Order: sequence, then C-alpha cells, then structure tokens
Amino acid sequence: MALTITCPICGKRNGYEFRFGGEEKGPRPVEKDLTPQSWCDYVHMNNCVAGVQEEWWFHKDGCGSWFSIYRDTTTNYEVEKMEVANNEQA
Amino acid sequence: MFSKQKPLWGKKKKLKSSYDVVLIGGGLHNLATAYYLAKEHGITDIAIIEKNYIGYGGAGRNTAIVRANQRTQHNVPLYKEALDLWPVLTKELDFNLMFNNCGNLNLLHSEAAMKAARMTIATAQFHGVESHLIDAKEAKKLVPSLNISDDITFPIHGAMFHPPGGIVRHDAVVWGLAKGAAQYGAEIHQQTEALAIGTKDGKVTSVTTSEGVINTKQVLISAGAYSAGLISGMLGIKLPISVLTIQAMVTQPLKPLLNHVVSSGAYHCYANQTLKGEIATGAHMDPWPNYTTLSTAHFIKHQAEALSEFLPCLKGLRFMRIWGGLADMTPDMAPILDGNDQFEGFFMNCGWGYFGFKSCSVAGKYMAEFMATNKCPDILKPFALKRYEEHKLMGETAALVNYSPDN
Repeated sequence: MALTITCPICGKRNGYEFRFGGEEKGPRPVEKDLTPQSWCDYVHMNNCVAGVQEEWWFHKDGCGSWFSIYRDTTTNYEVEKMEVANNEQA
Repeated sequence: MFSKQKPLWGKKKKLKSSYDVVLIGGGLHNLATAYYLAKEHGITDIAIIEKNYIGYGGAGRNTAIVRANQRTQHNVPLYKEALDLWPVLTKELDFNLMFNNCGNLNLLHSEAAMKAARMTIATAQFHGVESHLIDAKEAKKLVPSLNISDDITFPIHGAMFHPPGGIVRHDAVVWGLAKGAAQYGAEIHQQTEALAIGTKDGKVTSVTTSEGVINTKQVLISAGAYSAGLISGMLGIKLPISVLTIQAMVTQPLKPLLNHVVSSGAYHCYANQTLKGEIATGAHMDPWPNYTTLSTAHFIKHQAEALSEFLPCLKGLRFMRIWGGLADMTPDMAPILDGNDQFEGFFMNCGWGYFGFKSCSVAGKYMAEFMATNKCPDILKPFALKRYEEHKLMGETAALVNYSPDN
C-alpha cells in the first residue's frame, strides 16, 4: 500500500516517516465561552469521511514540520486541493 | 453460487414500505440484535439493510478470538456474558459455532507489564472471570514451543493465562444468527444500501435505501467501522472515532503445536492455531485512518520477525493468505452504545475497535432490550456518547497491549 506524503519542506516522502495528526477541525476554540461540548467537539470528534479529507501530519523522522494535506481515505492517495474544490460534497 | 439450496436465512424478499425496526449493517451486531428483538421481545417486523452481503465486513475478517480479560469494571461483565453465551447460542441456534475454549496466554515482557497484569487479573477475578498470573516456566509448560530465553528482543517475564477464552468460528456465528433471526421473521436485505435517515420534530421517520424508502420509527446503525461515517454523514452527529485498517494472515497448515491463543503487547502480535492447522496471526494497525483494507509488506515483515522470536519453530514457514479489515477506534478503547438521545428512535452501536467479534452476542442482546423498551439497560449506561464531553472516559487504554518494556 503506497502512502506517500508531500512535506512542504522535504517534498514527497514515505508515509512511515510521518505521524498522523488528526482531521483538520479549524482553529482551536477561544477560551471565553468554551463549553464542555465545544471543547469535546474540538478534541475528540471526527467526521470519519470515506473519501477526501483535509488532515494534519507531522514529519517526525524528517524536518519536524506540521502541515495539512488532502488525502482520499479510501485509497491513501494525496489529492490536490483543486480537485477537492471541484468534488466538494454539500 | 452453484448450489440449489436456498440460504439459511430464506429467499430474497421484496423490501416493504414500512418496518417496526430498521437495522443498518448486516454484520454480527445487527444480526444478534434482530435475533434478540424477535426472540426476547416479540418484535419481528425487522429489516436488516446490508450494502454488500452479510458477514462481508468485520464479521468475516476478524481472527475469531474471544476473551473476557479486559481492563475495566464496566467492560469485563459485558465480555464475560458474551463468553458465557457461546455454548448457549450453539444450542439455541442449533448451529455448531465451533467454540474452542482453548484459553488465552498473554505474554508479559517487563515488570511494568507484570504489574499491569496483576491489576487486570484482580478485576477479572472480582467479576468471576478465571485469569491467573504465571511465570515464564509455567508459560513454557503450556506452550512448549515458546522461546523463554534471554536472547530475544523482549524476553518473556511471565504471562496472564485466561483459560475460558478461545476461538469461535466467525462465519458460523453469521450464518447461525442470520438463520435464527430469519426463523422469527426478520428480513435480511443484501445489496441494499442505506442512503439517508429521515427525521421530523426530532424523531426518526424513515430510512431511504437504494431499493426504496422505508417508514420506521426506530433505526439502529451498527455497521462496524462504517458506522461513524454513516452517522456523521446522515445525521451530522460526530463521533470520537478513527477508522483504521487492521491486518491478519495465516500460514501454511501445520500439525497441532499451539494449544492456546498466544499474544504479546510488546511484540504487537498474536497467534493461534486454527482447527485446520494454520497459524492465524495479526495485530498490526495502520498508523493513520483509512478505509482501504489493503495489506502491506511492512506488516508481513513485522509479523515474521515477531513470530520467529517468541515462537522460533515457525521460522521459514510460508504465509498463505493475508487480508485486512477495519477497526473503529475510540479514544478510551471502549464502544459507544446509545439511543434516543440526539433523535428519538435513533440508536447506535459502534466504536468497538477490534473487539466487535467477541462482543456481538451480548451487544445485540442489550441493544434489543434498549430498542424494545426504550430504556437503556444498566449495563450499557456507561457506554453513552455523552461520556466524552463529561470527561468520563473509560480506562481501557490501560489494557496490557499498551505496556511495553519502556514503561
């Protein structure tokens, strides 16, 4: 199963060099007006998309960057952002 | 395919426009739920909706190991009851589930793991589950082919021995439960995909499928690792789940040499010998979420290295088959069973990770009670989705698999 990840600094590398960092969930909620529910949403909850999702990766065996990519979870292939915009689900 | 016999669960029926209960997912959990809804609660107007065919997902891809030596007080009674149900179901369903209670031997490779095992064993014994701590020599007596020397990566300090666990033939459970549920009148609709759940004023009203719309007041999603995506996609309810591919493989068949299920957290590997003689082994999960169910060279290498260290007699053996399935992992390694919360009439049973097979009968039994009475059985209360925002996560992550020589 070919998983390669494109690091913004090191380029396209073997997926095992990276650590998965979770689905992209937007900015961390502000402390003010934070409820247990909104915090739980941010910390634990996922969409579990069978398809393309934006997600975070950490280049642990490389430059140490944190960055986000688009990946199809049904094939493990990276996807260009342009393709995602064209097929965006409602 | 070439047989003239009709399947055990009857001929294909036309989907009706309404059912009392719709169960999305034709896996073990929903087959068991249907069986118990009909048998215990007299609810027989049930449609099981399956996109592929029954037993295509986790039900047919797991390595069929059953045990009740989990970590926490909420989980152990559930798995104990599941273990006790195998002989009962074999009789009730009049179908040989091939329960082989050969016992599970969990190898421990550090003092930290020995200490964790003592606590796990105390929990098991408190709940009436047989489980013992044994030393390396005793483990060697149970499994003579075990390498207990010091010259391996993770020398064996001792083991946790759980005699009542073992192996159940997973396909037989699918067929037996399907037959049992169908005998009471439940309908199994294969090649039928659930597309949407209709709600009105906070209540479930319908399920849209590829074969038409079904009016119903109760729907349960228990579609294994596909549950979280379905629930989020259909109803916008996000779950604390990550879906990972988990792989397993079997070797060529051998004469009997392994009388117990042997597992090791440090080597991240488990192995048992099937009744056909193959060594079934697995445990590797992809470290990133995906729905591929693809197998990897990385895993084959890992498994060969681990097995040839603690069971050196397997060196040079050929792997015959390899496959992948999906596990829906929660942050606390415990499932989510909930209902009538976000929408009246909507139930979910998911997040079992790699524990879905061992638990199917008991989860089905109590989800049936939940749906029939609209009252959550006490045993399921701690598994509600609310526990995450209440910060009442279960301690299953403290299970032995997470103890390595580093801690």
